[in-house]
Amino acid sequence: MMERNKMGMILFLLSEAVFFLLLILAYAFYHTSGELGTQAANALDVVKSALFSVALLSSSITLWQADVCLKSGGRSQARLLLAATILLGLIFLIGQGTEYAHLLREHVTISRNLFGTTFFTLTGFHGLHVAVGLALLLILLGLAVIGTSREPTSLAMEAISFYWHFVDGVWVVIFAVVYLWGYV
Amino acid sequence: MYWEGRVLISNNLQMHGKTCLVHNSTACAPALFDVLTEDTQGQPRMKLQDTSVFDANSPQARAILHLFYFDLAISAVIFLTVASLVLYAVIRFRQRPGEGEPFQDPGNPKLETLWTVIPALILLALLVATAYTMRVVNPPVIRSDPNVAVIAHQWWWEYRYPHSGVLTANELHMPLGKKWLLRLESADVIHDFWVPGLGAKVDAIPGHPNYLWLTPSKTGVYLGTCAEFCGEEHALMGIRVIVQSSEEFEAWQQSQLRVPAKPTGVEAERGARLFEERTCMNCHTIADTKARGTVGPDLTHVGDRQTLGSGAIPNTLDQLTKWIMDPQKIKPGCNMPSLKLTESQAHDIAVYLEALK
Amino acid sequence: MSEESPANRAITSLADMKEYRGMLSWITSVDHKQIGILYIVSAFVFFLVGLGLALAMRIQLMVPVSHFMSPGAYNQIFTMHGTTMVFLMAMPLLFGFSVYFVPLMIGARDMAFPRLNALGYWLYLFGALMMYFSFVAGGAPDAGWFSYAPLTEKGYSSSPGIDYWALSLLVMGAGSVATGINLIVTVLTLRAPGMTLTRTPLFIWMIFFNAFLVILSLPALNAALVMILADRQLNAHFFSPAHGGSALLWQNYFWLFGHPEVYILVLPAFGVISEVIPVFSRKVIYGYGFLAASTIAIAFLSYGVWIHHMFATGMSYVILYVFAGSSMLIAIPTGIKIFNWIATMWGGSIRFTTAMLFATAFQIQFTVGGLSGVAFAAIPIDWQLTDSYFVVAHIHYVLLGGTLFAMFAGTYYWFPKVTGRLLSEKIGKLHFWLMVLGFNGTFFGMHWLGIAGMPRRAYTYLDRPPLGTLHLISSLFAFVLALAILVFLWNVARSLLKGEVAGDNPWGGWTLEWATTSPPPVENFDRVPSVRGRRPLWDLAHKTEGGQP
Repeated sequence: MMERNKMGMILFLLSEAVFFLLLILAYAFYHTSGELGTQAANALDVVKSALFSVALLSSSITLWQADVCLKSGGRSQARLLLAATILLGLIFLIGQGTEYAHLLREHVTISRNLFGTTFFTLTGFHGLHVAVGLALLLILLGLAVIGTSREPTSLAMEAISFYWHFVDGVWVVIFAVVYLWGYV
Repeated sequence: MYWEGRVLISNNLQMHGKTCLVHNSTACAPALFDVLTEDTQGQPRMKLQDTSVFDANSPQARAILHLFYFDLAISAVIFLTVASLVLYAVIRFRQRPGEGEPFQDPGNPKLETLWTVIPALILLALLVATAYTMRVVNPPVIRSDPNVAVIAHQWWWEYRYPHSGVLTANELHMPLGKKWLLRLESADVIHDFWVPGLGAKVDAIPGHPNYLWLTPSKTGVYLGTCAEFCGEEHALMGIRVIVQSSEEFEAWQQSQLRVPAKPTGVEAERGARLFEERTCMNCHTIADTKARGTVGPDLTHVGDRQTLGSGAIPNTLDQLTKWIMDPQKIKPGCNMPSLKLTESQAHDIAVYLEALK
Repeated sequence: MSEESPANRAITSLADMKEYRGMLSWITSVDHKQIGILYIVSAFVFFLVGLGLALAMRIQLMVPVSHFMSPGAYNQIFTMHGTTMVFLMAMPLLFGFSVYFVPLMIGARDMAFPRLNALGYWLYLFGALMMYFSFVAGGAPDAGWFSYAPLTEKGYSSSPGIDYWALSLLVMGAGSVATGINLIVTVLTLRAPGMTLTRTPLFIWMIFFNAFLVILSLPALNAALVMILADRQLNAHFFSPAHGGSALLWQNYFWLFGHPEVYILVLPAFGVISEVIPVFSRKVIYGYGFLAASTIAIAFLSYGVWIHHMFATGMSYVILYVFAGSSMLIAIPTGIKIFNWIATMWGGSIRFTTAMLFATAFQIQFTVGGLSGVAFAAIPIDWQLTDSYFVVAHIHYVLLGGTLFAMFAGTYYWFPKVTGRLLSEKIGKLHFWLMVLGFNGTFFGMHWLGIAGMPRRAYTYLDRPPLGTLHLISSLFAFVLALAILVFLWNVARSLLKGEVAGDNPWGGWTLEWATTSPPPVENFDRVPSVRGRRPLWDLAHKTEGGQP
């Protein structure tokens, strides 16, 4: 039987998946009904967002490697990779922040039209999840630096990395639906 | 059904006029009532139909009723089976003194499959009957020019007849025996058009027009109501459908197309002036006058209607005066404000409005 | 722990438990039994509040054109009644029974995540209090327990009631998901040696699948809630038709949660009934496999029937056919259960304890609720009767005549385990008969009211027969129902003060909770029992090698 913390995390992520699925469906529903107003294609900078997305996706790889290192005893390397993960996540959030700032300057707000409504709600909740993930990773890094990275940290690491990979996975779907769909 | 056809008109007595038994405060009770079979408006007496689902007066309502009978019969059989098995078991298998352990029967898949399959077959029959009845009651709409557009508002009904151009409120006139298509729309929140004696209910949803077929098969007055909770005065959003013979309906329609003669008499003329001066015209329309508001019901032929306030009170001079003085006392929360008129001003406006036929 | 064997133990009531003394021990507790009791007591307090609101409504509707309260007050009261009974009473009550008995019945010392368990309870309590705070913060929510948009948009509901409603549900929803996860992990990882999943008691089985419904359906509600909050607080347009938003999106999301929610409220009741009937019939449950499998079927199907709440919204025929079919389909696994329970009683040796009486009434009343539910799956009947009092009758037959009766069966069955004292059977029987009379008297006539054209959620009605008579009868019996609850309170108080000492296993139960003392010690079991069948204590008593399957 799977370890209980990991099992709990997976169940939590199942629940989260339904939440994001419905927010994505709401976006897709208004997208297909042609009610979005300012469309994704002319409001968003896909290339820029793609770059930030790459940062987020690579953070999954660094976190996975950190986990591998931790298990094989490479603690200092693990710490480094963990820090890299946090940095990459931060880059993504900064990217999202600049994107928001740009949209707001163009008067594309949550109350402007249905594109604003669905876009900001969906990406906002995703960004919030990234922020929560960063907080968790920071705690992990703190623990690792203090040097108590024995078994419990390794377990927490695994559970948190499930969360982080999930948040990244959701972003792939959001990116496809929000940023790429407009061009299809 | 024993209550079928029993039409009680007498219950309005304590509501009607000035005696209000149940009320304690200053205002008179909103007169929820059943007056309108009386010949107060010079209209022919009409039978007030029951609002029961069992009193079906259209082919659509009858089809639903037949399905309901079928469902009730099935339910009765299943209920009696379950109830008698339970009762038999608890009586027959009560513990008796000195009784040993009963036989530990872990189950019998064959028997259990049986009581899975039998209900499934019964439900399949009900499903087939359902699909058949749906086609009879409310077949999908291909053409979209309705005989009436029903527009629900918080908390009244607007009816537009696109073929003739007639526009009225709260009382829907329909000819006998014609299969009519109603289009349901909403000006604000979700409402629901339900006249049990005539058939199915359909939601009136903003931005999502719905359709309903109705073929009334008996003349009379049918009461209905908004069935989807729509805010403070959801309870007082009555529907009144007046089913008339084709000739009567045609005559009614013609009368609605005529602009009523300018009311004469001192009171009515004062009332007409007050109507324009005291902001009434901001919300209401009266044809051929300056009143062009569209927030509230069109009042061009208001004197012709049986009720006021979407079925809240009977349309009499007395009640209309009270309504004009303070609608919030009769229908608290409704969108018509109290205009702080004196009783004589309200009376004059009421005289004017009652003359609009 | 100093206790070693039941013989030298002097603990016969909760008051004897020194670990449970003092307010602080309850506030800081992570003991699943204390948290379970907190849930149940809080739920019962909110039940009394909800009952009070119901009585206020019944007074208002006793006569036509009553002026007992204003329309605005009535709308707040019916909304808070529904919200309270579903979210503040039924769900926490079921969670209370779940977190109390799941560890005991699987032979565990606590939940998998004891602190998360406490968090779930405190989130619930905080959300519930916040919901009621709205009364003094500018007006309670007044758009019904499913609060259809766009009525809930700022333009139509400017008071903060809807905001409180949405925020409270979000907070409580987070707690529910946490508890759901906790229950699943507990069942999967902490079962006693030898207890395979198919040897778990049916109560566990039902709670297990129920927990999946909780964690997979609440996010739908949460998504809808954040959308309405965005609309109200940030001027977004999800549900605003004037800006192209959809009035129906809310209904789809709400019922995508709301229908599984109905099963969230009945599955634990099925679980309780599946424990009570075998014990008081002295017979093994009939067809464990069918009962277990039908639970899975219900859990899956409950996600595919939500449109049946929306048959009058003007759906395409294809959608209508599919959901009429699925809604009828879900009646089948439910029907199976009723027949299996009857078969369990058949040939048994039935003891008419109060618990068994409630379980018996449950079977008959739930059948009525189930059959009126099938009527709504027959779409044209739904077109006549939905949103009428027929619906009010239906939900109360399912949730009150069904779930609540089952929970009273469970209460009479397990009260001695929780408190160490027996409830009075004599007062219990008075409670039962008053309750049957009050419940059926209040709600049976509502079927007829709906057929006679009475819409639900109306603060007043026309003075037309038979409406006045039926409403009056319903109102009078509502007071009988309230009296029944008072009798129950009296029974509980009496039992806590001077109830008969229950002993470990007063009913001759077979599941593991009866293997420990009443009330159970903090660690639940001195020695975790080993399990070789579905009825460990039966096996012990009958010494059958290998035990029952």
